Amino acid sequence: MISRQLLNIVMLVEIGLLVLAVCLFFAHGLWLFFYERRLARLTEAARDSLAHLATRGTVNVEEIEALRRLPHDVQVIAFLEISRHLSGSGKERLSFVALQVGVVDRARKLCESRSWARRLRGARILSRLDVVDPLVQRLLSDPHPAVRAQAAEWAAAQPSVAVISAMLALLADPATQARFAVQNALLRMGSVVAGPLATFLERNSGRAAEAGLRVAESLAGPTFGQAGLRLSRTADIGVRIAAAKLLGAVGDAAGAERLIELLDDSDSSVRAAAAQGLGRMQHWKAASLLAHRLRDSAWRVRRAAGLALRSIGAPGVLFLRRALKEDDAFAADMAQQVLDLPAAAASV
Amino acid sequence: MSGVLQTGVSQILLKGQFVVLLYFLAVNGWYLILLLSSLLELRRHMLLIADESRHLLLSSTLSPTISILAPAYNEEATIDASLRALLALQYPNLEVIVVSDGSKDRTVQVLVERFDLVPVKTIYEQRIKTKPVRSLYRSSTYPSLVVVDKDNGGKADALNVGLSFARGELVCAMDADTLIEADGLQRMIRPFLYGTDVVATGGTIRVVNGSEVKFGRVVKTSVPTNLLAGVQVVEYLRAFLFGRLGWNRLGGNIIISGAFGLFQRDAVVNAGGYLHDTVGEDMELVLRLKRLSYERGGPGTIAFVPDPVAWTEVPESAKVLGRQRDRWHRGLADVLWRHRRMLFNPRYGVTGLFVFPYYAFVELLAPVIEAAGLIALALGLATGAVDWTFAGLFYLTAYGLGTALTAFTLILEDLSFHRYETFRDRTLLFWWALVENLGYRQMTVYWRLRGLWKFLRGKKDWGSMERKGFHPLTVS
Repeated sequence: MISRQLLNIVMLVEIGLLVLAVCLFFAHGLWLFFYERRLARLTEAARDSLAHLATRGTVNVEEIEALRRLPHDVQVIAFLEISRHLSGSGKERLSFVALQVGVVDRARKLCESRSWARRLRGARILSRLDVVDPLVQRLLSDPHPAVRAQAAEWAAAQPSVAVISAMLALLADPATQARFAVQNALLRMGSVVAGPLATFLERNSGRAAEAGLRVAESLAGPTFGQAGLRLSRTADIGVRIAAAKLLGAVGDAAGAERLIELLDDSDSSVRAAAAQGLGRMQHWKAASLLAHRLRDSAWRVRRAAGLALRSIGAPGVLFLRRALKEDDAFAADMAQQVLDLPAAAASV
Repeated sequence: MSGVLQTGVSQILLKGQFVVLLYFLAVNGWYLILLLSSLLELRRHMLLIADESRHLLLSSTLSPTISILAPAYNEEATIDASLRALLALQYPNLEVIVVSDGSKDRTVQVLVERFDLVPVKTIYEQRIKTKPVRSLYRSSTYPSLVVVDKDNGGKADALNVGLSFARGELVCAMDADTLIEADGLQRMIRPFLYGTDVVATGGTIRVVNGSEVKFGRVVKTSVPTNLLAGVQVVEYLRAFLFGRLGWNRLGGNIIISGAFGLFQRDAVVNAGGYLHDTVGEDMELVLRLKRLSYERGGPGTIAFVPDPVAWTEVPESAKVLGRQRDRWHRGLADVLWRHRRMLFNPRYGVTGLFVFPYYAFVELLAPVIEAAGLIALALGLATGAVDWTFAGLFYLTAYGLGTALTAFTLILEDLSFHRYETFRDRTLLFWWALVENLGYRQMTVYWRLRGLWKFLRGKKDWGSMERKGFHPLTVS
């Protein structure tokens, strides 16, 4: 039989582990209780000083000294917390105080660390404080995607030519997270990105172009028209779809012509995107062609065409009503469903 | 005669003890690996999310659209509050599809009255074959709400109908009574943004019993004082934080709770959607997606997010709990049997070589081994082949190991999310961890054996789940 001695040893080890676990569990609870109380008290004090600073706009030496005396983690919590509610000159003042207190310097050191987690934390602090620093810009080419993504988030508030150009290069980033962060940041930069992005789109294709087209669609400026037209002729289906959506958002005459051509594309998703684009620009001249697409073999095209007709307004609705009497049951049913939709749902 | 019996039993126990010991060591060794893996994974996760500002995702129009598929069957009393909580989730591009699975009560009428629904022509793109759809409604006030009324066909069928209506690139499958944290979707979508190979994500589901719920949200967390609910709190924490998180790092998660999971819509549709003829449809789908990723290529990572993202009510009566566990084990047996060719098959990588054998030999057969051990022990004691002191020591060793693992899981929770903050909650949690092995565990062995027996007899019924309701009641 399994020796009792062995069982005794195992049991002793287990008892030791259990006692250790109980001690750790309750000790941690106790520590958390006191730590959080202390943290709340200190953070409250720091919050008060920073709130004064934000409202008065002046820097009080005593308050900076008081902030400096606080534990580092409390400083970071307080600065990051208040940074959410500030922008413009308020944020600038906050960054200045953070620099005086030493938060910025410590974040810079973190950005240079060999550990990705520390670099990420450093980049997060500098991003939230909108600190202009070439160190964070360098992190745009960091080996860890989370750090690159964070650097991209920082870049949204620093729309310099160099930063925009580095960000555009990242549109082809293989990591989804970094690509998403870059797209998001470019979008937040706003119209300042339009020129460089249009040039980028005129020179690129593939995944990078597709990612750029999504940003361009949301920015929807006339500068993107030419790039949209060019990319709508590429072989890549994903790019053609994104280009069709962009042309719909731009809404110029050349784009409308191209979208009409794309209604006959070999791929159903592209045809649907073209119909959606025409609906978005409320191009009533295309109503008859859209009505024809109610007979398309693909559900998504029929649906997009129906919704587009509804968004066009009176002429589109007229075509939908006519379609109710169609011989083609698919077209009639789709027309009926789109006409039944409440206004709020029809615009989705 | 009794001497012969005693010698026989003694011989069997002597020969069998090494098998039992090996099994015991292998299982607990594996648990230890999982625990270490969970610890590393949790550390990495906490580093990634420290000071993270998720509001950027919330404000981005570029975020992928998520379609929530909410099957409902006779949910007249709770559907209003549940749906309002879903519509208020913090996510920018959200669509909510409620599928009434042939409800016999006023579920659909309540929705029509309270959400300004209007009937629209019932046509849709049938991506998966399902029971007929009776009617389709859209809301005049909630543009992203779709309500489908269909013939009764079970949860799997309702989810498949939802898949046909979903516009989103990602679909979120859930139970009608799951309470999702307001920022749960933002947390769940992370793996899709972090990786290119992710086909599905699951998050930590916690027990809501004992906690305070208002407007479909958990506002105050407490450990329940009810024995069965309390023990299940500990059980859920262990299953999610130690089991699933551990497998995350080892590359082999194959379970996403049916209560709340996020999937790539096209991958699910291409795989054929949920199966109707199994009681373990959620696990079956995940394992099928995993298998197909090896066979056809394409995304295959099943990611697990340790953040507490959703809450569920667990049974407080032994009868209902027994039915649930019996069904879960039947589901597990059925799913493993359906995909048995993956077992030890190198074509399926880590899943075939490690994960599948783990679920087959540890999760599925555990009750059999445990029951055999208990029977052998009883026989040994009756015939005098095993002495009482030894039996007691062995039981205490096994009990101690289980409790130590649970205790370390509690520490993991405390170091990361520490949702149970008060001294009372901590004491209760520890108490339930100690009590779990004294009777409850043996009851689950019985229920799981019953499930296995029913599986062998080909029974596929669901049984009913009686709910006590949240505290205070959310019924409007």
